[in-house]
Amino acid sequence: MDGAEVDATDEAEDRLRQLRTLIDGDLANLHTDALLDELLDRVRESLHADTVAVLLLDDSGTELIATVARGLEEEVRQNVRVPVGQGFAGRVAAERQPVSVTQVDHSTVLNPLLEQKGIRSLLGVPLRLDGQVLGVLHVGSLGDRHFSAEDAELLQMVGDRVALALGARQSSTERSASVALQTSLVPVQLPAIPGLELAGRYVPAENGGVGGDWYDVFTLPTGHVYITMGDVVGRGLKAAVVMGRLRSTLRAYALDHLDPAQVIARVDRKLLHFESGEMATLLLAIVDPALKTMTVSLAGHPPPVVAREGEPGPARSLDLPVDPPLGVREGISRRSTTVDLAPGATVCLFTDGLVERRDVPIEARLDQLRAVVTADRPDAVCGRVMRSLIGVDPPGDDVALLAFRRLSDRQFRDLHMVVPAQASELSRIRAGVRRWLTAAGATNDDIADLQVAIGEACSNVIEHAYGPRAGTIDLHLTRVESDEVVVTVRDRGTWRSARGHNRGRGLRLIEGFCDEHRVEAGPGGTTLTMRRRIGAGRDDAAGGPAGAGDGGDGHDGGGTGLGTGGEGAGGG
Amino acid sequence: MSGVDVKVETTDDAVRVILVGDVDLGNVDRVATDIHSAITNQVTAATVDLSDVGYLDSAGLRVLFELAVRLPTLQITLVLVAPPGSPARRVVDMSGLSGVATVVP
Repeated sequence: MDGAEVDATDEAEDRLRQLRTLIDGDLANLHTDALLDELLDRVRESLHADTVAVLLLDDSGTELIATVARGLEEEVRQNVRVPVGQGFAGRVAAERQPVSVTQVDHSTVLNPLLEQKGIRSLLGVPLRLDGQVLGVLHVGSLGDRHFSAEDAELLQMVGDRVALALGARQSSTERSASVALQTSLVPVQLPAIPGLELAGRYVPAENGGVGGDWYDVFTLPTGHVYITMGDVVGRGLKAAVVMGRLRSTLRAYALDHLDPAQVIARVDRKLLHFESGEMATLLLAIVDPALKTMTVSLAGHPPPVVAREGEPGPARSLDLPVDPPLGVREGISRRSTTVDLAPGATVCLFTDGLVERRDVPIEARLDQLRAVVTADRPDAVCGRVMRSLIGVDPPGDDVALLAFRRLSDRQFRDLHMVVPAQASELSRIRAGVRRWLTAAGATNDDIADLQVAIGEACSNVIEHAYGPRAGTIDLHLTRVESDEVVVTVRDRGTWRSARGHNRGRGLRLIEGFCDEHRVEAGPGGTTLTMRRRIGAGRDDAAGGPAGAGDGGDGHDGGGTGLGTGGEGAGGG
Repeated sequence: MSGVDVKVETTDDAVRVILVGDVDLGNVDRVATDIHSAITNQVTAATVDLSDVGYLDSAGLRVLFELAVRLPTLQITLVLVAPPGSPARRVVDMSGLSGVATVVP
């Protein structure tokens, strides 16, 4: 800004001054969108133009898309697209310099709207930022006006300002979008899985914003637990979007396959076909419903580090075959390996951001990691790992860390589950009960019987406690002495009396499969308590048909048989 | 949503329905529909094989009791297969289903 315009007398210089004021001064604080609107209005006014339009280059860099317009609003509404190199705007983008035409017809423009509008002359300038063309700004006149070189200079000045504003808008949108995506994709709260403790950490790289690291933990209807950790090559919004797609593709295939290698192979095929050019590393592990084994497949990802209880020395990296990352080429054969998950063992998964440092050999970092991973609470392990390996240094890359531990019998004293009172939850309940009873030393018969008794109690809550409104089942299992299990099933509803034929069998099953049961119904809900000896302490094994009565379809509903104090309780 | 497969084998005028997996309140309606459509009006003998059922509760029993009552009216015999010691057999015995249907190992 020099003092030359102070003496401006003629109209052109006056306009120049106006525009400079516009660009450098009073609009500095306007929000980007408002700024664009204001710039377009003032450009139209200053250049005595009838139309103003901004077309932006799409992500592929091949097409211009009408984005903002004045006097030509339909161009935006109709989502007009012009290929680079064709038509008027396409020529401006291709030549990267101001272009002016005084003949508007099919030989100079591609968009019939311009001709239909009666535009007689056009002036366009490229929107340039850091040597790149972002789009095109053009003005049009319905009269016989010829745009001068001076007009072109003015318009280019405005164009440069618009490009700056657009660049700022784009990068801030991209940043907030990728942060939002990342936040929504890394689970804030890991699922509650009885018998398995979990903890995770995610830290974005400090300079480049979020990248493509993520982890995910979910259970299948069969009670299997899938645990995944991955790292999409690249960073920013694009990596975050690819990561989001990978995550849901994985979840979808995991529902159909219990083999990690098969799931990865399918995800890889989908990635190669639909997101060609993207690459990612992945660790996929599936833990069986009893939590006794873990089957792992690695796609270019570092193997887990495992610390066993009572094992001296540092933790070990699992010696597993590593197959190529996703997105390399089609038809890669992938391998799964099953390893035992010892009670009390802690498993630690991580992305390379944790162990890669420019100035330290990766083996040294891995040694450092193995030294701090112990068979401890996952949350404590994560805390120690982050303190030791990240400390106060800003990470140069994303860091994702996930630790989990299969609880030993000693650590798994009680089972407590609070689940929605829905039939779809019953299989999840069974998986938790099976795990806990196995750890408690129950025999297969004990497990089969208690599964039915607990299943009946929970089905009762689902069918009778809440009516159409939603509610929860609160299930608690604990051991008294060493061989007696006490189960409580609690709800906060009011049981209605049983409906329909063939009712009351559930109650008979509860009676038959437990040593003792009791119902307490109150205004705050109903609690069913069941007791049963397990293991060798129980002499009645398979047993006779204790509850076998007439077996017909008697109308035996009602709560009368429900032990003591079962008022208002519906039979199962 | 939990896993149960219903397989059907038809030979001449007999049908064998094999249940594999867990039957509970969450999938019992589907299981009932599958069994009912497997037992067509043309068959004279129906077998429901519970050998590979890992879990069966009163919701599943309801379907079996209904079959045990309904099929004789249609002059279709019903046989339930449940080996001793299997999870289904314990429930079948406990409920008294063996009193109204033929249960074989």
